[in-house]
Amino acid sequence: MRRIEYFAPETVDEAVALLGRYGESVSILAGGTDLLVEIKHKVRTPDQLVNIKKIAGLVGLTYKQSAGLRIGALTTVRAVETSQVIQEKYAGLAQAAQALGSVQIRNRATVAGNICRASPSADIPPPLMADDATVRIYGPDGERVIALENFFTGPGQTVLNTDEILIEIIVPNPLPGTGKVYLKHGRRKAMELATVGAAVSLTLEEDICIRARVVLGAVAPTPIRVHEVEDVLQGIFIDEKVIGDAARIAMKVARPISDVRSSAEYRLQITEIITKRAITQALALAKTA
Amino acid sequence: MSVKAAKHAVVGTRPWRVGGVDKVTGSARYSVDVMLPGMLYGKIKRSPHPHARIVSIDTSKALAHEGVKAVLTVDNVPRVLHAGAPAPRIESLVKDQYIFDEKVRYVGDGVAAVAAVSEEIADEALDLIEVEYELLPAVYDIEEAMRPDAPRIHDSEGNLVMPPIEIEQGDVEQAFSEAHLILENTYSTGRPAHCYLEPNICVCQFGQGGNLKVWTSTQNVFMVRGILSEVLDIPVNKIQIIMEHMGGGFGGKQDLYQHEFVCALLAKKTGRPVKMEYTREECFLGGKTRHPVKIYLKHGVRKDGTLIAREMRYTSNSGAYASHGPGITAVGCYDGTSLFKCDNQKIEGRSIYTNNPVAGAFRGYGAVQAFFALDTQMDEMSVALGLDPVDFRIKNVLGEGDLAVSGHRLATSGLESCLRRGAAEIGWYERHAKQSAKEGTIRRGWGVGVQMHPSGAYPSIKEQSNAIIKMNEDGTVHLLTGVSDLGTGAQTAMAQIAAEELGIAYEDVQVVAGDTDVVPFDIGAYSSRTTFVGGGAVQEAAAHLKSRLLTLAAEKLGVESDILDLRGGTIFVKGSAQKATIKEIVQGAGGAPLRSLVGEATYEPEVAYSYGAHFAEVEVDTETGHINVIQIVAVHEIGRAINPAGVEGQIEGGLQQGIGHTLTEDLIIDRETGKTLNANFVDYKMPLALDMPKIKIIILEEEPGVGGPFGAKGIGEDPILAIGQAIGNAVSDAVGFRFRNIPITPEKVLETLAAGL
Amino acid sequence: MPKQIMQMMVNGEAYEVAVEPSWMLLDVLRKELGLTGTKKGCDVGDCGACTVIMDGKAVNSCLILCVEADGAQILTVEGLAAQTEGDSALHPLQKSFLDHGAVQCGFCTPGMLMTAKVLLDENPHPSEDEVRSAMAGNICRCTGYVKIVDAVMAVGTD
Repeated sequence: MRRIEYFAPETVDEAVALLGRYGESVSILAGGTDLLVEIKHKVRTPDQLVNIKKIAGLVGLTYKQSAGLRIGALTTVRAVETSQVIQEKYAGLAQAAQALGSVQIRNRATVAGNICRASPSADIPPPLMADDATVRIYGPDGERVIALENFFTGPGQTVLNTDEILIEIIVPNPLPGTGKVYLKHGRRKAMELATVGAAVSLTLEEDICIRARVVLGAVAPTPIRVHEVEDVLQGIFIDEKVIGDAARIAMKVARPISDVRSSAEYRLQITEIITKRAITQALALAKTA
Repeated sequence: MSVKAAKHAVVGTRPWRVGGVDKVTGSARYSVDVMLPGMLYGKIKRSPHPHARIVSIDTSKALAHEGVKAVLTVDNVPRVLHAGAPAPRIESLVKDQYIFDEKVRYVGDGVAAVAAVSEEIADEALDLIEVEYELLPAVYDIEEAMRPDAPRIHDSEGNLVMPPIEIEQGDVEQAFSEAHLILENTYSTGRPAHCYLEPNICVCQFGQGGNLKVWTSTQNVFMVRGILSEVLDIPVNKIQIIMEHMGGGFGGKQDLYQHEFVCALLAKKTGRPVKMEYTREECFLGGKTRHPVKIYLKHGVRKDGTLIAREMRYTSNSGAYASHGPGITAVGCYDGTSLFKCDNQKIEGRSIYTNNPVAGAFRGYGAVQAFFALDTQMDEMSVALGLDPVDFRIKNVLGEGDLAVSGHRLATSGLESCLRRGAAEIGWYERHAKQSAKEGTIRRGWGVGVQMHPSGAYPSIKEQSNAIIKMNEDGTVHLLTGVSDLGTGAQTAMAQIAAEELGIAYEDVQVVAGDTDVVPFDIGAYSSRTTFVGGGAVQEAAAHLKSRLLTLAAEKLGVESDILDLRGGTIFVKGSAQKATIKEIVQGAGGAPLRSLVGEATYEPEVAYSYGAHFAEVEVDTETGHINVIQIVAVHEIGRAINPAGVEGQIEGGLQQGIGHTLTEDLIIDRETGKTLNANFVDYKMPLALDMPKIKIIILEEEPGVGGPFGAKGIGEDPILAIGQAIGNAVSDAVGFRFRNIPITPEKVLETLAAGL
Repeated sequence: MPKQIMQMMVNGEAYEVAVEPSWMLLDVLRKELGLTGTKKGCDVGDCGACTVIMDGKAVNSCLILCVEADGAQILTVEGLAAQTEGDSALHPLQKSFLDHGAVQCGFCTPGMLMTAKVLLDENPHPSEDEVRSAMAGNICRCTGYVKIVDAVMAVGTD
């Protein structure tokens, strides 16, 4: 791998200062399962790496009914996958975590890293967006909080400045009667980048859907919340016809590209199928929640 | 003697693999594990263009970079034309490679090499080498490359690698005119890569006495030695090739690559050992692939279902160099005349240069593609005639007394046997009762494929293997075998054969292999030959040693040697209580051996054939196009399983590759730039543990291989030769439309369904 | 940048090594410590041949800078047998792999063993699906995974 300068600060302020000093030539090293691959492939060519894993207070999963779920930036994908409370209350997120890479990757990869890398086909953002997650960002001027759905600006691009670090993800407590699902479509059952990813969260009150969130990954430059589909689902009793219509709208809204993994046409066809299946499964879960 | 009834002490058992303990404890040494004092690291600079003339190369900045010790280009390497492919030399080899040339012919072609004190510095040095290219137009398709006005990649018109192969039997035109039904279609196969887990590796050192010592991952230590000797002009006895363990080959390590030459030259130039390890990306770019093949196939069949006419045009995409283009095309064509009987045939074969990565030897060697086309069209004919696909095959496959490609007559109807056995196991004739009505989005289908394969490369290559066995003073032996073990378990089988023949324990055989200074000559591990030919040599050498041992025993015991029996490490005198252990016979006073006892053999057999049939059950999701293989029944008739675990392992591994080739594996080359778009393990999709179906293996031992050790025949390539068509036919059965191109991707499934509705 | 001195425990032994920050844990284990049992199959975390156990978790050592492993406890395949209670020269997984014929070329074997060990530490009696899931990050091109899964299941049911 290319020769680099290496830093391992122990406080967030130290880290932020380093980022500020080196600007475009520095990369943050968290899990490393994406960054180091990109450096080895010469897609990214930093001269400095800032390892943030020694910073105290960035690991941790806490859940309180009043406050919801708080995920520290350095929490690994594996910790999220195996967390009982996440499996119970944030099932889409748990599914996304399980679908990411392999056990070895998940033991190192961080939830925050997957978010900040902002790959259009990333698994972690869609279910978090479907859960109305927000992220806490720390920089030289202090903290700010942003809704995750406003975090992404393009493929690999976010609202983060070069001297800011994402330090926490906050997810509200789910409403009773909520069913959540993340479906990842790929050619193999593991070690895949999604050709299409769909996260759906539906809340039912007396058989009527009072809240719908539908988020698609891998079909646009960023993960997208599909308001047009949510509008069709909200405020009504969802039946097979509604689901079919909703899925067709999703297909119209998606704007995937063709790449080595899949053609755009195929991604559109899968968008319809995956959306249909995700809504159907979330609905079933909501009924029993 | 019925082979089935014979009971053996060691053959047919499942001992721990030779080298197995080393592999599970991490102490097995692969070529990349060789660490030598002062070792440098070598890297190759690769062309970013698919077709270009090199105008100039400036290496001055690279040479000046700190830590760089040598740089090689076309200007300072020997200019010797070679084929990069195996000895013994066969007619079909085409010599079209230089170590470095003045032209590059595909994205990935090597143009220069450096040796430096670290891999990072070698990498930096590559970027400092400045190459000026004059771009030339490129072609990727066979049809485009064959046009007379196509850019010439080498010097042949129409980019032909070699003169076309033409085979004619009987009177094809007459036969077609008599056919009740004629079917013709075009079939095509994709571009899978070997993906051996151990990247290509070479370590070279000019050591004691100025001899060249090479550690390399190769299927063919003697071939590497021979070609290095020729191209670098070093006598054979001054080159030593060592291959202790290797991490898979599958045909991809059957040729030399640029890096063996370059590594040796860098070691010479710097006076230090040099290690060259491919990155995974380089394994895809600088390695080999399978030949994509287009096959036009036409059959004429009688009303009763007998094939009477066959026309086939087999055109393989060779990529930028010839490598095994001639070989696989010949095998594809000749094997295409066989398998299913047909008296009237016209077969043509061509191999075409294109500016794609180089295609080479790969398990199944041209027959994979031919059998896919043949067996798919057999399915189409059975549907058209309203005949059961298995019955239709039984009717037409080669059987007892029929002539194989080698000119031998088959001793049994092994193909029919495999078909019947597999059909019974999977419940073939009752399958559609299990099918729920063809509605719903998941459809189920069943398919069959059949194959036969020779145990060895006879008659295209003169078969030869050699073995030497030395008796030690304690009754144990050293077996020196030329056989290469790529992970197949060949050495284990050799040890079992030697132990069985000598009547000693498996543990008493120490296998010595993979060092050209020590072991006798062998032509390499390919063509499913190691058990039959290598094992045959071992058995004969063991028999030779045994006879010398019994002669000595007879002397010592004062009896005639023909009343001596050897088993369990003990020599018995028949009809008497007299006996002695081997140790007691061979050891003299003071614990030294009485005399040198060595058995040796040169074995030059003809060939035997193994048979197999695969049955596949699949589910197709008609909404997403995804294909799930539910189960596979694989029946293989191989004469005798020397090590059943080894045989099963070969079948299971071959199935993983075959499933991959049929459904998900394809190297995708960009038609504008010639770049390989998926040269990594995420986007080149091999089946993982989660993707494998349920597998049932049935090994039949019904037709002993004449000349095979204890009747054993080969198994190496058989498992990949029937699975593609079994799955393809099953998918076609599931969705009701025919698939003639592999890999069958979900996109193709949806396209086909959409077109058909 | 000058080399950094770092410490780690590998297979129960304490090591102090001078490393460049850009060196991967995999390369340091193999070249500096001479522990060549861990293999490099792709160098980018796609194949699992480089799997080691770090602080109790299976990780791809090709995606960890050696400096990140400062203070860590690492187990490689060379240390596996010593993990066994009693006097055996081989860990039950190693023995099971040999009994079942789960080793062919052997290049994926060290990685498979380490992944399997962690699986069984966390889930002593896994189902076949759980085994296949856990091994999804370990590629094998020789065996079709059949006997590897059998070997792990056999230890799991003991």
